[in-house]
Amino acid sequence: MPEKKNNIGYLFLREIKLIAGNHSLLLTLLLAPLFYVFFYGTIYSYKVEEKVVLAVADDDRSEMSRMFVEQMNNMQVVSVMRAVSLEEAQERMYRGEAQGYFYIPKGMQAKVLSLQQANVVLAVNGARFLPSSELTGAITQLGLTIGAGVRLQYQEKMGLNSTMALQEAMPVNIDYRPLYNPQASYGGFLLPVLLVLILQQTLLLGLSGSVALERENNNIARLVTTGGGLSGMLYGKASFYLLLYLAYAAFFMTVNYQVLHLPFRGSYRDLAIILFLFILTLIPMGIWIGTLFKSQLLAAQLMAFSTYPFFLICGYAWPFESMPPLLRGLSSLLPLTPFVKVYTSVVQTGGTLRDHAGSVIHLVLLWIFYLLLALWGIKRCNKKQQPLSL
Amino acid sequence: MIRSIFNVTLREWKRILTFPVYYLAMLVLPPVLCLLYAGIYNKHFAEDLPVAIWDEANSPLSRQFTFMLEQTESIHITQQVQSEGELHALLHNGTVMGAIHFPRRMDEHIKSRQPVYITIYTNVSYLVPAKLLYKDAAQVLLTAAAGVQLQKLMKTGMPAGKAMALVMPVQLQSFTLYNPRYDYQQYLVPGVIAVAMQMMMIMVVALALNYEHKTGTIEALYAVSNGSASNAVIGKTLAYLSIAWLDYLMITLVIYPIFASGTQLFSPDLFVIFTLLMLACISIGMMVSAIFKDLLLACDVGIFYTSPAFVFSGFTFPRWGMPWYDQYYAMIMPLTPFVDAFFKVYFMELPLRYVRLEMAHMLLFTAVGLPVAILLFQRSLQPSTLQHA
Repeated sequence: MPEKKNNIGYLFLREIKLIAGNHSLLLTLLLAPLFYVFFYGTIYSYKVEEKVVLAVADDDRSEMSRMFVEQMNNMQVVSVMRAVSLEEAQERMYRGEAQGYFYIPKGMQAKVLSLQQANVVLAVNGARFLPSSELTGAITQLGLTIGAGVRLQYQEKMGLNSTMALQEAMPVNIDYRPLYNPQASYGGFLLPVLLVLILQQTLLLGLSGSVALERENNNIARLVTTGGGLSGMLYGKASFYLLLYLAYAAFFMTVNYQVLHLPFRGSYRDLAIILFLFILTLIPMGIWIGTLFKSQLLAAQLMAFSTYPFFLICGYAWPFESMPPLLRGLSSLLPLTPFVKVYTSVVQTGGTLRDHAGSVIHLVLLWIFYLLLALWGIKRCNKKQQPLSL
Repeated sequence: MIRSIFNVTLREWKRILTFPVYYLAMLVLPPVLCLLYAGIYNKHFAEDLPVAIWDEANSPLSRQFTFMLEQTESIHITQQVQSEGELHALLHNGTVMGAIHFPRRMDEHIKSRQPVYITIYTNVSYLVPAKLLYKDAAQVLLTAAAGVQLQKLMKTGMPAGKAMALVMPVQLQSFTLYNPRYDYQQYLVPGVIAVAMQMMMIMVVALALNYEHKTGTIEALYAVSNGSASNAVIGKTLAYLSIAWLDYLMITLVIYPIFASGTQLFSPDLFVIFTLLMLACISIGMMVSAIFKDLLLACDVGIFYTSPAFVFSGFTFPRWGMPWYDQYYAMIMPLTPFVDAFFKVYFMELPLRYVRLEMAHMLLFTAVGLPVAILLFQRSLQPSTLQHA
């Protein structure tokens, strides 16, 4: 037993030397996580997109229409770009200078004052999801407020006092409570998962590259012998990555959460447990993937394409239930799927591991699954690399 | 010269079909990724998201509102709760994505001029479902509220037209152009395929010149290209461009229409801007390949350069929402002008004159990348260098 521990220790040190001597591994495992986490983080540092440009053509040119446009421009989401005509407003959208246009036809004020319904037009460029939905939401809200103002004035003219007129103006109201991301911001939504995605992808890319390199150099059989067996080799190689990525995880969850002003609502103990389990599952997965490639170059090249599919399929960006059964099955095989469910609940909603016992068990089962796959992969490579005996 | 370029192109096609670093990335991955992405968003919209109702009013009006909510595309009422605590617990463990609360004595309050507040809760840590739920719930509740107001005004003897004008003095006619139903498959899939294509092209072409050293074929390339780096680079460029066209035709005419319910992706204008994107990527790849003889380093440069392209391009999060230095960084990636042009040409169906600037931006990568690659590679093709190799 002590000998096996020594062997694992030897493999641990050997892995450090291997990485230090291979610039690709060095770049992927030591530089990329830190570089990416700060670099990507800055993109969403403002979290929400403000002052979305809206071209406005006002043919009414009345006091009411000017007030409408002024209130629009005062909104955080909207930045008004004046256009002399509807055609110019449309053209500005076509040229990409504005994300939509707003048209006030002639006679709006006159109609409203004579208690006739007036029409205004809002057209947003739905090809861009976020700005168009933000614009529609903000302008709809403004329209409702202006409508309530008109009703308020009418009720007051009919003899109601201000309080009663106000109550009559808005008998049914909506109280919207966006929980766990109060600004409903894209940055607040994406950043927490982006951090773990960087952890996952650099680990998978680096570790699979390292194993592929061992295979390329015909070192697997020697490593199995040194490790005292398949599991010895696996533990020896894995222990370095476990230590390194636990350190990264601790850094990301503390320093980067602070730098990016991300709220943390759960328990650090629960987060530590689930992160440990996640990294523990990713390591045999990375080793198994590495055994599938004949060269480090091929491993690096093909694994680079896995980032977007893994993210899109894990059920975070698109509801798991809305995917076809085959892809749901595939998604269930990714450690990211159960992990993201627990992680977002812990950090964003203040949930606990107990709330997601099913997902925690799912992750444990995946760890066992990938451990067996990794051992099988090493065994296969070991067999291929055994010298032929006559 | 033309014959030599053609021979290099022919030779490169053979290499693409021979080495896994080429054919796996260029011929296998694009259709596989296209199938995967189209499959993920096969439903087009997130439908029937689980929602809880906390109905303290328990009245005809609250039941009518609940019925109307259930009729929407995104809302599926799966739970009835009796308290706020119960509601939060369901949101915590992910059983529901949102909830609606009708307050106690809601109907009475509406009749007695007391303002009523109906609460919509959404779990915004999942942004897409939360936005869809809010949109549908707000639409239903605002329509219902307008109906209540209209009835109240008409009961006072007001004519319908006047009552309507008071309920909604300014009628907002809102149009979401180009993707009115926020179809995710239509919106996201072509974009992520373009990302995969640019990534694939840069990473593969980053091995176009330096891989000749690894395979020991640099002398053969010298012979075929008549010792001219420009013949070699242009010949290889044409070979990669033709594979990109093959991928384009395969994806737009076969895979995408079949797996995205017949949606048409092919258009001649899209083909033009796709070609410019591919040319830009090939040029960058060639430059990387000419600069770095070390294959792994060239591949790593390709990965580091291409992997952030999607988030910087402004496809999902607009560039004007990023800090200024990120906006500048975005401009050094060909995907950025392509995405701007793509929105105009594919979604807005505008003619190419609206994307002149974006096309010029993409051509700039070719105008810089290819000459630099030729100049640098010419040194590797010197007979003295070849003897060393």
